[in-house]
Amino acid sequence: MKPLVSLVNIVKSFGGKGKALKVLDGISLDINEEFLAILGPSGCGKSTLLRIIAGVEKPDEGEIKSYSDIVYGFIFQSPTLLPWLTVLDNVALPLLAKGIDKNIAREKALRYLSLVGLHGFEDFYPNELSGGMKQRVNIARALVVEPTILLMDEPFSQLDPLTAEALRAEILDLWLSGVTTVKGIVMVTHNVEEAVLMADRIIILTPRPAKIVKIIEVKLSRPRDRRSKEFQDIVDQVYEYVS
Amino acid sequence: MDVVTLFLACLASFGRMLTAYIISLIIAIVLGISMARKKYVEAILMPILDILQSIPILGFFPIAIALFLIFLPKNIGLELASVFLITTSLVWNMIFGVYSAIKSLDPEVFTMADVYKMKRFSKLAYIYVPVAKEAITANSVISWAGGWFFLTSAEIMASGSEEHKLFGIGSLIIDFYSSGKTTEFYIAIVLLFIIIMMSYIMIFNPATNTVLQQHILLAFDKIFYYIYKLISILWGFIVSIGIKIESRRTSFHLATLAIPVIALSYSLRSNITNLYYLFLLEFIKNFLLSLGRVVFVVITSFILTIGIAYLAIVRRWGSSIVFIGEILASIPAILWWPLLSPFVVSLPWLVSFIVFLQGSLWYEFFNVILFGVPKIRVEVLDLAKIYRIRGFSYFRYILIPSLMPSIASGALSAWGGAWNASIVAEYFESSGRIVDLGGVGSMLSRYTYSGSYGYVLFTVLLWALMIAVLNKVFWSRVFKLVEKTFIVE
Repeated sequence: MKPLVSLVNIVKSFGGKGKALKVLDGISLDINEEFLAILGPSGCGKSTLLRIIAGVEKPDEGEIKSYSDIVYGFIFQSPTLLPWLTVLDNVALPLLAKGIDKNIAREKALRYLSLVGLHGFEDFYPNELSGGMKQRVNIARALVVEPTILLMDEPFSQLDPLTAEALRAEILDLWLSGVTTVKGIVMVTHNVEEAVLMADRIIILTPRPAKIVKIIEVKLSRPRDRRSKEFQDIVDQVYEYVS
Repeated sequence: MDVVTLFLACLASFGRMLTAYIISLIIAIVLGISMARKKYVEAILMPILDILQSIPILGFFPIAIALFLIFLPKNIGLELASVFLITTSLVWNMIFGVYSAIKSLDPEVFTMADVYKMKRFSKLAYIYVPVAKEAITANSVISWAGGWFFLTSAEIMASGSEEHKLFGIGSLIIDFYSSGKTTEFYIAIVLLFIIIMMSYIMIFNPATNTVLQQHILLAFDKIFYYIYKLISILWGFIVSIGIKIESRRTSFHLATLAIPVIALSYSLRSNITNLYYLFLLEFIKNFLLSLGRVVFVVITSFILTIGIAYLAIVRRWGSSIVFIGEILASIPAILWWPLLSPFVVSLPWLVSFIVFLQGSLWYEFFNVILFGVPKIRVEVLDLAKIYRIRGFSYFRYILIPSLMPSIASGALSAWGGAWNASIVAEYFESSGRIVDLGGVGSMLSRYTYSGSYGYVLFTVLLWALMIAVLNKVFWSRVFKLVEKTFIVE
């Protein structure tokens, strides 16, 4: 099967001349119609890689090849909602910014708000919502652009464990049920169990500068049972490569 | 006395103020945004603005008039020169307000904007303006007062031996004073106060209340409701047109306005060679004299403001205190001399001190009362109550540290304001009477009145240099310290 996007030898450094800090050192990777987890220690450049895929940051070397028109949705680590806009307008924002008619943009936003279980909250302001609900708005905003690939930057790391677990299941449901336009998901995380629970493939990165040490395929059927032996075996296998 | 003339004079002055305010608003938004978002613009403009806000623009005035008169017919040129001068007394804190509001926004928001490919105008409409709204309104309250403070000076413009007068309430008041028409003088002053009060109660105070979503200022909302609606409709219209145009891939350049500012400062720098020793000596002597006064005034402003903040928090006198502040802050600088004329001969330094304080105190005052006090963490105040922290300790450990960020930014503006006021506080001339207390402000005034443009230029230049040095060695350290220590998360 043809990949959606290929990363070819991505290199990225930060800082000025002389004391440049290399964060990504030759990352090559195909993104297929799959759930991809990028796992690595904090500060290793995972988020930078995600930003490069999203086109927000330019790599110093290497390129990103897309084989068709790819639209990206982005779920931020913290919800990053604008406090002066209602929930509905926060979701509609990417469309409004494109100059799409207000009514059409809001109608679409409403649809995705219902999809993430926030029907009835459209006129609330972000500060009136709980952390989990804000993150749902963040998700709805990523879906409203009707993305081919959903990029997620540690999307559950700032939530309490129960909310996080519920949202993980919901994201998987949304994706697997095919109600969204999302074909592939790339999730950055430092949580090994989360990666094994959700992903088809786990890309393990080294500490800075990041290189790919190992790609582990997770062939367990979904929904996965965290307590099963097969699950634990894969977790153990992943831990071998995470230093 | 002619009532119609008075009325028209008020209208003319108000129109000048409003024009200058709108220009300042646009400049503040454009420059504030580009400084906060573009490193190179920040690097270039920050020091220039720091200096400009601490130099009496009145000093540039003869040059500005000359420039405006070269290109334009006399009436229009003078009018524009006057609006320009008022603008220079409104704009600085507004720029810094927009700048720091955007600068302190979570950087993730900009990533978000990039991810969803928001272009300039969408960012302006959905991010920059909403985030800067609080800073813009609260700073408008300060600036509006600052504008009136320099109004009279902007309506009577000395350019060498020539004196240009513009029709307005400010020039009228001075006219009445110099021709000894005491009754008319006081009536005109009362009228000026009424306009100032009305503009606050009906426009700026309700605007601040609306934007801060707190009823902290004295306000009459009925008329503002319509103004607000009108502005909302207008803004909505601009936004929708802008985004439509932009989605067809045309864009405009935010940094264009920076060019005249840079050009101005550059042309000033090319004139250093003519300085000579005696002039330098006199300058330093006078500068130190003014520096002493400015430092004293800034410290006084700090102490007064802390006292008032205490009353606002503990006694909840906030809204009436601010209103009194708005009125007092708006009294034109030059008016203090005739208003306090009984003391001018016996206690000139007292009148001078009051004028200095007028030009300075209110920056500290409004920064602390409008930005600091509403944002004090309730937990911190509760802490003080629970552990019975009172008296001196209350100020030392609770009040001052919690207000520190606003105190520091207020003090910087107050410092600039005091330097700015020196030109009207150290020198006063009317109907043959001259009060000259020395200092750089007085030097500049004298050179301006006598039309010695060369000296005006050197004085301003040296002044800018000194301010730049002081900002570098003192204020930048203060701000680093404040950022490190006093931001309560």
